[in-house]
Amino acid sequence: MKHLLLVFAFVAAPKIHAQSYGTAGVDSLSTVEEELQADDSNFTFTESQLGENDDITADVIRINSATNVYTSQFGWTWSGIWFKYRALDNAYNDIYMNGVQVNNPENGRFQYSTVGGMNDALRNKDDISPFEANNFSFSGMGGSSNYNLRAGRMPVGHKVTLSGANRNYTLRAMYSFGTGLNKDGWAFFGTVGYRWSNMRTAAVKGTFYNSLAYFLAAQKVINDKHSLSISTWGSPTERATAGASTDEANWLANDYQYNPYWGYQNGKKRASRVVTTFEPSVLATWDFNINDDMKLTTSAFVKVAKYKSTKLNYSGTNPHPDYWKRFPSYNYDVWGRDGDYTYDNVAYWTAYDNWQDESYRQINFDELYFANTQLNKIGADAIYWIEARHNNHLMSNLSSTYEWNIKRSTKLSAGIQLLSNRGSHYRTLEDLLGGQYFHNTNTYLVGDYQETSTEAMYDVNHGYQKLIEGDRYGYDYDLWNQDIRLWTCFSMDRGIVHSFVTGKLGGRRMWREGFMRNGLFQDNSYGKSSKAHFLDGGLKAGSTVNLGKGHAITAGLGYEFRAPGASVAFMCPEMNNDYALNLKNERVLSTELGYAINNKWFRLNLTGYYYRTMDGNEWQQYYNDDINSFSYNSLTGVRKEHYGVELGLKVKLTSSLDLLALGTYSEAKYTDDTQVNWMSSTTGKINQEICHNKGMRQSGTPLAAASLGLNYRIERWYLNLTGNYYDRIYLSYSTNMRYENNLKNAGRYHAGEYDVPDQAKGNGGFMLDASIGRQFYILHNPLSVNLQLCNLTNRRNITTGGYEQSRSNYSVTETENTGTEVTTKPRTYNFEKNAKRFYAQGLNFMLNVNYKF
Amino acid sequence: MKKQSYIIALLAGVFAFASCQEGDWDVPEGIPYGNNSLQAGATVTIAELQSTYASVISSDNYKQITEDLWLRCVVNGNDFGDNLYKQLSVQDETGGIIIGINGSDQGAFMPVGQKLLISLKDLYIGGYGTQAQIGGLYNGGLGRMEISDWKKHVRLIMDGTPDAVAYGTMKVDTIDFDPSKSMAQQAGRVVRLSGVTISRDGTPVVAPDDGSVSLISNCVNRTLSGGNAGNKCVLRTSTYAAFKGVAIPTTPVVLYGIATIYRGTWQILARTESDLTWTK
Repeated sequence: MKHLLLVFAFVAAPKIHAQSYGTAGVDSLSTVEEELQADDSNFTFTESQLGENDDITADVIRINSATNVYTSQFGWTWSGIWFKYRALDNAYNDIYMNGVQVNNPENGRFQYSTVGGMNDALRNKDDISPFEANNFSFSGMGGSSNYNLRAGRMPVGHKVTLSGANRNYTLRAMYSFGTGLNKDGWAFFGTVGYRWSNMRTAAVKGTFYNSLAYFLAAQKVINDKHSLSISTWGSPTERATAGASTDEANWLANDYQYNPYWGYQNGKKRASRVVTTFEPSVLATWDFNINDDMKLTTSAFVKVAKYKSTKLNYSGTNPHPDYWKRFPSYNYDVWGRDGDYTYDNVAYWTAYDNWQDESYRQINFDELYFANTQLNKIGADAIYWIEARHNNHLMSNLSSTYEWNIKRSTKLSAGIQLLSNRGSHYRTLEDLLGGQYFHNTNTYLVGDYQETSTEAMYDVNHGYQKLIEGDRYGYDYDLWNQDIRLWTCFSMDRGIVHSFVTGKLGGRRMWREGFMRNGLFQDNSYGKSSKAHFLDGGLKAGSTVNLGKGHAITAGLGYEFRAPGASVAFMCPEMNNDYALNLKNERVLSTELGYAINNKWFRLNLTGYYYRTMDGNEWQQYYNDDINSFSYNSLTGVRKEHYGVELGLKVKLTSSLDLLALGTYSEAKYTDDTQVNWMSSTTGKINQEICHNKGMRQSGTPLAAASLGLNYRIERWYLNLTGNYYDRIYLSYSTNMRYENNLKNAGRYHAGEYDVPDQAKGNGGFMLDASIGRQFYILHNPLSVNLQLCNLTNRRNITTGGYEQSRSNYSVTETENTGTEVTTKPRTYNFEKNAKRFYAQGLNFMLNVNYKF
Repeated sequence: MKKQSYIIALLAGVFAFASCQEGDWDVPEGIPYGNNSLQAGATVTIAELQSTYASVISSDNYKQITEDLWLRCVVNGNDFGDNLYKQLSVQDETGGIIIGINGSDQGAFMPVGQKLLISLKDLYIGGYGTQAQIGGLYNGGLGRMEISDWKKHVRLIMDGTPDAVAYGTMKVDTIDFDPSKSMAQQAGRVVRLSGVTISRDGTPVVAPDDGSVSLISNCVNRTLSGGNAGNKCVLRTSTYAAFKGVAIPTTPVVLYGIATIYRGTWQILARTESDLTWTK
């Protein structure tokens, strides 16, 4: 039994190889506080923000490296504002489970929402900052995490959790049960959770949340050398999403949380954008304890992911209530500009009056139904429908990790990761809204080509195809990724210096397989594309110099090549097999320098970092009204830099009172203009452009943030009060608005100089959060109660994200169309001033009660 | 065991609750477009209306209708083919008229053949190039009325309902184009032109937008000659029309469209591609 426990401890205990440089006296958390943070880390991020809105870049990074006050606390503290670690995309944060990487290889991201509601199963993990040695990976530029999902490491006993909140869900119930490792070497664990809100209770009007989660795990320790474990989980979820809105819309609706994505049908609220996900996953792990100093961990992972997102679509006039032509400022230039603008007072006030009526500012499903049923009478295609975009994945991974404790403080790890992913992307007709059918044609092409022409067909193989609900239309293709990656990490201590060096080498192969023969690309859309191959790799090294008396200096330097994911590798995967032009590995230079003090009452981390990315690849798709078509935009050779300073300070004021201060000031921006190749969905031609995006900043996160908090713990009480200040929040910039030709069309080119519009910004501000917790004992078992109150001052005008609209401030007129020259007319509606924003929720709470027995 | 039973019961309750979420959607009832409370008073025919306001129309002026007049009519042309832009063409048994509405996709709500009851009071009537139009005020002149105003003034009458009885045999019919007829006699009606030749300047499709022909307000006017076209008649097609790419035959054709007039020139507006099938 003793051996068995030793084996288990070796196999399963989280390890961080970085040298700790002092005592950790200020790190002890009360049980309630621990409970609160652990719970919140899987609440605030997974359900409130991460990956659950299609209109924002869902790329918050969570790292929680225990050796650094800043990295261990910022995620918890700044969750309400969607703070991104070092303003990095989530794709730079590598997530592992029992050593196998689970990021989606198409876009590099991990969707935390796929593990929502199974909090108790996710408590054991190693969080590694970008320059920490570890035993499972070449650490990611935005850090890495390795979840330990072995049943033997799960909490023992029963636990019931009940929660109430006024956030995107209202109620949550979770139950978990773990056996721990029994005398026969078996351990079992299971948890099930359910989260719920409906249209009456959800914080944002027109949304709902309906999610079940399960996690089941078993482990068998066979002997002192071998242990097998298996776990499976899933979180079938259906939820309605909310959209960002312009300030004009919010003002007219008198609601910072105005959501244009819902409406009434027969007097009942209906959401147009509903996401349905289910990603059942299985993970099997074999832990082989070769001897006391060596071990081998091998894991196999399979995930069958189903993701469906609905949206109101149309072939006529845009029926969305926030369509720009429905606003008062469409009729009257409210910006006081000089030029040929409209000043129609009557239409302005008519639009204003219309917006006071909720049925006008929400989707009128009844009208859409009526239009379609009227069209049925003349045998015409439906012009309004709900579409569903499907992004399914079949991912299988295999990893093997070898660890060797060469000496007491000299360690070597190495591993291999094999991955195969098939991403299936297609669109279906979800609801014809009373219509009988429509044809599988590109309606944007009708006019240039006859409706029944092969050119206008989305799928020539099926001809002029009449579609009914459930049919696939528009596009249908698979993207394949196959990766092999080798990595190693060596760390050692020499005197006061702890150092590590880590490296990786990998290969990626990808291709597309189309299942529709697009009319514009009849020879290049059906079947398999050629295969693209990328070789990537990297090296990283770091050191910690222990200066004594708790002082330490840390430094790190890395350089890596990152193969592009399939999500940016194709010019227009919805239409053909062509790869984006000038596709290359992204190159990343990363550096970090830090200073730390750690003693019994005081702990400080001050870190500076500088990252530079080169040859990056980005891809966007949007409606381009200059060409009355969709455009597919590939940005290559992207150059950015991220740099900043981070401060974490924790002071133990008394035995029961801590002070926590966090701060960061950072920069994250494009360093040069970018080459763009864009393709029109109606001509199929690729055009070259220069995007004047130099100086554009990373969006959706404060580039400056600070907080000051007090934690008070006495007996079984826990109290926290934290004030946060956020600033320098930028919105996602529009590339289209900054294309060279479009700047000329907009009259922003003078004497050889381009007058590039400033990037839209959001509001920062102060936010006050508090929480209170108390632990009781009932029948000798602990009952924890805690209440989180966020945004106590009810600041509702703090921006959490958003984007500039990709439309032009002018319309292309063809009055004097010569076929080569474009003439334009200024628009009264000012797109440059009408970015769409998300705002932080006002005062909100979560009450959490759990009982262990 | 008792403990486990409680837990199972709790979970069962949770899942039962879970199953009571968003369900199927009922088909909306009624007519959610227009003003269903309108009840006709004193009716007027299109011919009577144009006669009453003849001087206003012929002088390209406009006037607000102050009398409580009601018009029963049927839609004979709309924006379904994207050629009539924010215009509805209606007719009764006496004539036709154009209605300007600042809204798109009206063809979906009011397809050809849809019977309408229109409350004319407070709307404006006048002439544009001597073409009679009903609309609203825009920049001090006669223009399109706001869609919200239109919806207050119109009621859709469905076939087979008691309200449809008053329309008798009113339906969309086609008349042969006659260049000698007056605006009031022919404009706003579906006309047939036979044996006419269409000019093939530039790219020989009805509305090329490649710069090969000059555009007037994003439309191409192609001269019609021969047959019953007379000597001042054009086929007018928008470069946004769904059928703008229809090829023009070299031989005389049959074509259909809404007849409109602009300063003495008849402009034929095809509604959909089927108006340009050329042979029947």
